[in-house]
Amino acid sequence: MALDQSVSRRRLLQLMGGAAAVGTLAACGGNSGSSSSSGGQLKVIGVGDQEAGLRKALDEYKKAHSDFDFNLSFAPADQVQTALRTQLAGGNAPDIHVVYPGNGSAMSMAQLSKANLLTDLSDQSWTQKIPTGFKGAFQNDGKTYIFSPGSSMLGAIYNKKAFATAGVEPPTTWSELLAVCEKLKAKGIVPIALGAQTPWITQLIPYALVPGTVYAKTPDFDDKMIAGQASFADSGWVDAMDKYLELQKKGFFNANPNGTTYEQATSLVGTGKAGMAVQVSAVLPAFRKASPSPDDLGMFPFPATDVAADNWIPGGVVVGIAISAKSKKADQARKFFEYCGQPDTLSAWAEAVACVPLYSDGEPKVDPVLKPFLPYLKDNKAVPFMDQRWPNAEVQPTHFAVVQELLGGKTTVQDALKKMDEAYRKTA
Amino acid sequence: MRTGYRPRTFVRELVMIVVAIAFLFPVYALVTLAFKDSTQVANKPLSLPDPPSVSNFGEAWQSASLGSALLNSTVITVSSVVILIVLGSLAAYFLARTASRLSYSLYILFLVGIILPFQLGMIPLYQLVNDLGLLGTYQGMILFYSGIQLPFTVFLYTGFIRSLPADYTNAALIDGASHLQAFGYVIFPLLRPITGTVLILNAVFIWNDFFTPLLYLGGSGHETVPVRVFAFVNEYTSNYGLVAAGLVLAALPILLVFLILQRYVIRGFSSGLKG
Amino acid sequence: MTTVTAAVGRGAAKATRRRGGIAPPWYFAAPALIVYALVMLYPAIAGAGSAFTDWSGVGDQRSFVGLENFKQLFSDDQAIGALRNTLFLTVAIVVVQNGIGLLLALGVHTTIKSRMALRVVFFAPVVVSPVMVSFLWKYVYNPAPDAGLNAALNAIGLGSLRQDWLGNPSLAIWSVAFTVIWQCAGYSMVIFLAGLEGVPQELHESAMVDGAGTVARFRHITWPLLAPAVTINVMLSTVGGLTLFTQIIAMTNGGPGYATDTLSTVLYKQAFVYGKFGYSTAVALVLAIFVAAVSFIQIGYLRSRETTA
Repeated sequence: MALDQSVSRRRLLQLMGGAAAVGTLAACGGNSGSSSSSGGQLKVIGVGDQEAGLRKALDEYKKAHSDFDFNLSFAPADQVQTALRTQLAGGNAPDIHVVYPGNGSAMSMAQLSKANLLTDLSDQSWTQKIPTGFKGAFQNDGKTYIFSPGSSMLGAIYNKKAFATAGVEPPTTWSELLAVCEKLKAKGIVPIALGAQTPWITQLIPYALVPGTVYAKTPDFDDKMIAGQASFADSGWVDAMDKYLELQKKGFFNANPNGTTYEQATSLVGTGKAGMAVQVSAVLPAFRKASPSPDDLGMFPFPATDVAADNWIPGGVVVGIAISAKSKKADQARKFFEYCGQPDTLSAWAEAVACVPLYSDGEPKVDPVLKPFLPYLKDNKAVPFMDQRWPNAEVQPTHFAVVQELLGGKTTVQDALKKMDEAYRKTA
Repeated sequence: MRTGYRPRTFVRELVMIVVAIAFLFPVYALVTLAFKDSTQVANKPLSLPDPPSVSNFGEAWQSASLGSALLNSTVITVSSVVILIVLGSLAAYFLARTASRLSYSLYILFLVGIILPFQLGMIPLYQLVNDLGLLGTYQGMILFYSGIQLPFTVFLYTGFIRSLPADYTNAALIDGASHLQAFGYVIFPLLRPITGTVLILNAVFIWNDFFTPLLYLGGSGHETVPVRVFAFVNEYTSNYGLVAAGLVLAALPILLVFLILQRYVIRGFSSGLKG
Repeated sequence: MTTVTAAVGRGAAKATRRRGGIAPPWYFAAPALIVYALVMLYPAIAGAGSAFTDWSGVGDQRSFVGLENFKQLFSDDQAIGALRNTLFLTVAIVVVQNGIGLLLALGVHTTIKSRMALRVVFFAPVVVSPVMVSFLWKYVYNPAPDAGLNAALNAIGLGSLRQDWLGNPSLAIWSVAFTVIWQCAGYSMVIFLAGLEGVPQELHESAMVDGAGTVARFRHITWPLLAPAVTINVMLSTVGGLTLFTQIIAMTNGGPGYATDTLSTVLYKQAFVYGKFGYSTAVALVLAIFVAAVSFIQIGYLRSRETTA
């Protein structure tokens, strides 16, 4: 179509745009919209979850470099899908923008780098320190395209006061977990808060369970899936989903999880009306904000089986940033990325979003509530978030939808997992 | 039927008032919520606020930057509507008064625009606005609305002009006036009823539109009221009192305009499609 | 009714009335045509072109896939489910919104003292942004037993009817439909009112002399004369229902599961969540053709009903 003649079209349009601008200026009394003149600023768009760390890094860097300036804005996760994707499509990408590690979503490193939209970062020094197990999250075809401050742990965020009221301790096996829930419930405390109306929340409990029910027995499950030798419907995912529904059947969730939002569930735990919620550590700041006494919140690995040795944990690289392939200020952006990769910046950012730094010289400095997770990391018993190795952007939203259907009693575990298998087999 | 106030009329009146009260329940819930602090929200969700607190309103006005959002919405709405009225009435006058195959085809071409889902052209249009350098500006939004609402505007004007006798302009033209003068001084004033309708329907649509301003204006500082409210609600979602105050403040301006001009607005909506 | 007539009845208009006078020059239409072509026609054609490609929506990689996207559409469970939901919502909205609109119109088209105030009350939601109305109702539908609608039900002794309005997959679509109906019933009402005002009082009076009751008078006098208003209302609410988007995205995002996904939300998700822009525009094209077809069939049927009534 006219796309081939984009140069001449663009010039023509600019002329017309000038005319249109003059016309409307007269019409609206001289109010000009001049935001398109960004000057020497780098345009940066992040997602709400990374705000605490990203803003700090940018501010510090600007203080040290007088020639550097930025324009930072944040969007909630769903808006990133619309606003940012339209900008990428329209060739109007910000210089630096949020990208999800690995594969599995339309805004993921693998999908965007495949479309040639990201700048190759492989020559930066910090890329040499990416642990082998995390390389898949950062690299596509051996090239690094994303910076992320480290990994977030997935487990139960719990309210210590609520646990004390019921006289219970963090459990280490599935049976203990059920017993803990029973005791919380007997005290009138909602054992597990679940805000499944917010789509991404639906996946957290399966993610907490499958490291134990799937990966502890079959560590190469993802490779087998890719090779077509395994399926969700014929794997430990069945066990995980059954357990999910068992928690619901026993009345361990708040009433109406499908009608409850993430924010409502957060405030249930923060105020002690609920005992715990299965969550990623990166959202700890939100839980602390919702709690009258933030120090009452702790975390423990969510046990998936009765064999303690099988209870692996999910730990995934957190959402990161990348440089647009079309950025005209890529040089400046690269220098900023190099700065982010330095140990001090990295650990400050990691601390701000409650995650374990990508690398550290010596003992990592982490948020104390993450201490129970560190031994698992040391023993290589951590599995990346499942979607990061899914081959297309359709499996994850399918997962969200089938969980809501399961909780609503509208489907069976077998049918739900078959739907995920179907989505998985679709081409990228 | 309309023959005085009888006991049956009284019963009818009561029934309708009860219906109206039920209809207004969500509004009651929202407005009372806006006047409550967080402890009242938690403990007495439906009762009247006691004591009423107005602190939510100030905070919501600040956090959602509603003042500048109102200005943005006003600039965009007024400019777009003026352009629509001028372009739409001129084009419709041509289409209604030219009995050629070409003008009929053009008319059909405009009508096609009424049913095109906007998603179809969403990305190419975004690229276009970006190429024009109008992303994040008032002008970009004004251009968008002037185009997207033209089919409907042309449709309304054409139907109306067809029902007018042609003699007036002929007389003016014979007196030596130019076509534009004849249109401006003779025809346009005759279009006043339908212009009122065009103005009201387009203004309400543009003022309330959400998705495109979200794409085009997000992060620019020129966001319209619905976009700011959307971001605001998402940010403070669990602070019910504050969110309610934001919604009340954001809806108030257009509701006030509606109350003042209710007769015209209702007539605009009900007669617009009747020609 | 004349404008809808004008859209389809050109032949008749031409035959009965010569468009007299000196034709205005072409440049009257030029500015409108340029803006329209720039903002609507060109993007729609360029966009429709990608319905035959596998473009992801970003980047330069795209190849021609012929009718593949359309084939996929007719075997896609999600799209078919969305079509079913779209039709359900449309029928529910057309029937209930216009039913309520008609009852409200009949209720306020009387000598009751509050009639003007009631019109304003019932019409007010029409002028408010659908996004804000959706947020309002999202609060009303709060599943907690002591908030919103559930608290109100409890207060009037109907506590057993408390529901998870948006979380229950069987109920969510009704809850969404009701929000739309609440906002738009006033619109239907004013169009019916305009129709009622056109019913000559003398007809009612002579019928009353003949001993006809309220119901008989409604059936034989009011209802047939309301036919044009019915046409407009049915058409407006049908197009509104078929393209419903904002309220769903703001209230349920298509969930729980796929329970409230419509064609509009599916094409949005295909483009922005799944990264399948080509497929998404195929859905948009099918939706456009579908809306056009339904509108034309409705105009044809309802117009013939108007003339025979």
